[in-house]
Amino acid sequence: MAESKEADDRQRSILRRDFLFGSGVAIAAGALAVPAPVADTLTQMATRSYAASTGYLVYDSRLCLGCQSCMYACSMAHEGVASPSLSRIQIIKDAPSFTKYPYDVAMAVCRQCVTPLCVQNCPTGACHVDEAHGNVRMIDQAKCIGCQRCLAACPQRPHRPVWNPAKRKSAKCNLCADAPFWSQAGGPAGHQACVETCAVKALKLVTEPPAQLDIAGYDVNLALTPALEKLAPKPAVK
Amino acid sequence: MTGGYAGKILRVNLTNKSISTIDTARYEEFGGGFGMGAAIFWDLAVAPGQWDLQDAFDPRNVISLMSGPLAATGAPAAGRTSVCGVASSTYPTDQFYRTNFGGRFATTLKLAGWDGVVLEGNADKPVWINIIDDKVTIEDARSLWGLDTWETQNRIVSMVGGRTRFGEEWQQIGEGYTTARPQIVCIGPVGEARARVAALIHGSGVTGRQGGFGGVFGAKNLKAISVTGTGSIGAADPKGVVDTRIWHVQKFPRIKTVLPGTAACMPCINDDRIRDSYPGGEAMCDDTYWYGVGNKELQMKGAEILMRWGVSSFNSAFGNFKVRAPEAPPPAAKDLPGGEGLGWYVKYLYQIGVLGPGKQIDSSPLPPIDQCDELEFREAFFNAIAKRAGIGDVLAEGTLHAAKRWGRLDQDVQSGALRYPAWGSTYHWNLPSVEWAFGGLLGAGDVVWHVLGALGGKEGHRPYTLDTLLEIMSSKTIPYTGDPYMFSFAWKGEEAKTTGIYSEHKAKLVAWSRHYADFWNESMAFCEWVLATFLKIRSGPVKLKTQESDFSEVMGIDPVKAEPNTDFRGPTPEAELRYYQAVTGNKVTFADTMEVGRKIWNLERTIRVMQGRHRDQEKFYPCMYRPGASQAPELGGRPVYENGKWSWQPLTDMYLDEAGVELFKTNFYKLEGWGVDTGWPTRKTLEGLGLKKIADTMASRGRLGV
Repeated sequence: MAESKEADDRQRSILRRDFLFGSGVAIAAGALAVPAPVADTLTQMATRSYAASTGYLVYDSRLCLGCQSCMYACSMAHEGVASPSLSRIQIIKDAPSFTKYPYDVAMAVCRQCVTPLCVQNCPTGACHVDEAHGNVRMIDQAKCIGCQRCLAACPQRPHRPVWNPAKRKSAKCNLCADAPFWSQAGGPAGHQACVETCAVKALKLVTEPPAQLDIAGYDVNLALTPALEKLAPKPAVK
Repeated sequence: MTGGYAGKILRVNLTNKSISTIDTARYEEFGGGFGMGAAIFWDLAVAPGQWDLQDAFDPRNVISLMSGPLAATGAPAAGRTSVCGVASSTYPTDQFYRTNFGGRFATTLKLAGWDGVVLEGNADKPVWINIIDDKVTIEDARSLWGLDTWETQNRIVSMVGGRTRFGEEWQQIGEGYTTARPQIVCIGPVGEARARVAALIHGSGVTGRQGGFGGVFGAKNLKAISVTGTGSIGAADPKGVVDTRIWHVQKFPRIKTVLPGTAACMPCINDDRIRDSYPGGEAMCDDTYWYGVGNKELQMKGAEILMRWGVSSFNSAFGNFKVRAPEAPPPAAKDLPGGEGLGWYVKYLYQIGVLGPGKQIDSSPLPPIDQCDELEFREAFFNAIAKRAGIGDVLAEGTLHAAKRWGRLDQDVQSGALRYPAWGSTYHWNLPSVEWAFGGLLGAGDVVWHVLGALGGKEGHRPYTLDTLLEIMSSKTIPYTGDPYMFSFAWKGEEAKTTGIYSEHKAKLVAWSRHYADFWNESMAFCEWVLATFLKIRSGPVKLKTQESDFSEVMGIDPVKAEPNTDFRGPTPEAELRYYQAVTGNKVTFADTMEVGRKIWNLERTIRVMQGRHRDQEKFYPCMYRPGASQAPELGGRPVYENGKWSWQPLTDMYLDEAGVELFKTNFYKLEGWGVDTGWPTRKTLEGLGLKKIADTMASRGRLGV
């Protein structure tokens, strides 16, 4: 109904203004009070624990070709257009600039963090732990108000949630749980466009949280025999 | 327009510094890439009739760098940049020709909102073009002039919006964001000197080696083009694009063993580049053979020199890469340089005593020629060319122009010392793969099209029989299906004329290969290492190295089991069409796409006819008519139909016959609807392809075939 939508919009813009400009800015008299469920979320922010995701992407940065096929597959599967800028996996090649192997390609994959700061800092609950999809950390586009707190809160660099300037919303890797242009069943129990597309199987879905020390648990040996291991230097933890 | 296109082409006039836009829709009938580039060249350079089309360095030379509709969609290997215009490296005249290069330039151009860049005119001072999404500026390049290509690109990265910390930051460009660096194509000091051996360099190791377009950029005073793109490319069937890509890589895997340290262009399903090479490693094949074959470290150091100075490995080859040519006559040994180039020719002239300090051909300022395999010599070689100092001024013109200036061209060509098959291109896979030789003769040089290497084989050395191979090939070469004689490489006697390499059947194979290449490789911009692929050698999905695989130990998951392969049919032509239809939405048949290829092939023919091309000029150099013309039996020989039987033969002794070549030309011209006496397309042929305006222009200049 129009009235509720208007109320929703006003509520959303108040929350957005509040969070964009920080607490302490007085809410204009006559405006709606912050509704209870959201306030609930806010006060619990610092104290909640989160059910662990049942799916994680790990990768092998020494095998990666730097071809970015995964980025094209991701954006096409989620957005229906090919756009590395909208891809929820970022393969960054230092070209030009010419860093030496194995540091010439950086693979930026959402870690489905055990304590997801993106979820923790989302004021509307748009970024949430989705029980229906194996606890994958997911952004509900309908609830996203474009405050960008998830981008700032993500402890990884580059931040893993992706900003869509045309829609003015954030999106993040949800292991293809709700990719509208993906033919296969996605989510932690399913298949991911990036994993299936990779020609060298440099991406893999696993079900247990990888070791959480920096990138070491996520950048793993996916294929190498001892003989081939000699050809590939271990990337130092950076 | 159909899906996949950005919708506009950037047009830059370097003489008057104007920037404008061409509607891509105007040229949609030519597909994309080279097809559009050739059509634009016709409209801007040929049709106005104000230029004789002879000099690559003339400001009226129009050079385009085009992408295709499949670039930046996820279609693998479809992101090559197609470059065309009048080339500086062909001989004896500057021919309309092409090169292409991989990497990320064309895809980033699409994401910036452009289907290509068209360059007219020559700037009066060094400039570079800065493309940031739809914002385009022409920048002063005087501080970049003289820098090598790596330093040039590093400087430009710093100039374009500041330098982000690699791998850690999103850079905001207007409204959009990217984690990628700007993608740059540029020239080095050798191109700045208008050397005909200069290449276009992109990234650390991606290069457009054919055509001497690096020298053309130099003449235009154009140091670099940089592009940053944050946009998106739509497709008619997004799900179809993703599904096709996965079907392709999982049903037809190309990579046998995943090795660390390999790389690919963007995006791809092969691993043809070397990440673990020089910094920013993208080293590939011929550049790594240029110096120190067999020693990886030396290979990479040599390739780095080529890249930094911006030189074509083919055109400047020193002959380090050897191939076997058992029938080669003296003075060649049984091992010949795989491609003879400028460096090899200097060595040869030194060895016969005519080149050196104070000799008939003074080698100053080069170091002693017997040091030619030292890295310092190679750098000094390119420095001499870049400065046009002493012998460098002649070397800059390329091998055949240099031979002419030294008064040695005729004798070194006649003796067979200079193995340049046609139009000034170095030897590549010209024989026994005659479609390569003929395609180059009828075009303007090296076709660089390895696709029919699939025909190679030896009894017992392939998992399929020759019969199976012929059946597969003759079923896939739409529209010329059902004719296995197309694949016979019989070269002797009557058989060669009736069913073999001079026959009407061979004419069909050459026509097929040129039409396919002009549409799918040059215009849809698929890398020819990925498509066309006729055969499937490996079964099942990519198999990670499993002999003592860690895989299951690390992940607790069973290794992938590969099925034994019994179906050898590869992805062509189904894959091409699936990608094309998913992206564009065009419900065409494969035969329809080959018709567009035929149109583009005829278009490039008309441009060369306007330059003066005639049947009488289309002759090979003498080396092709003698024993030793064929090389590299390790490439696998070819099928031969002889005395009623088919067999694979190594064909190391193959050479051509002048009368046979003339017969082939007649057969080919008839097949293509070109005048038999002239080799010029007829009005009927051109109008049948929707090229009436071109036919009218050619008629008005007396160049129509009859």
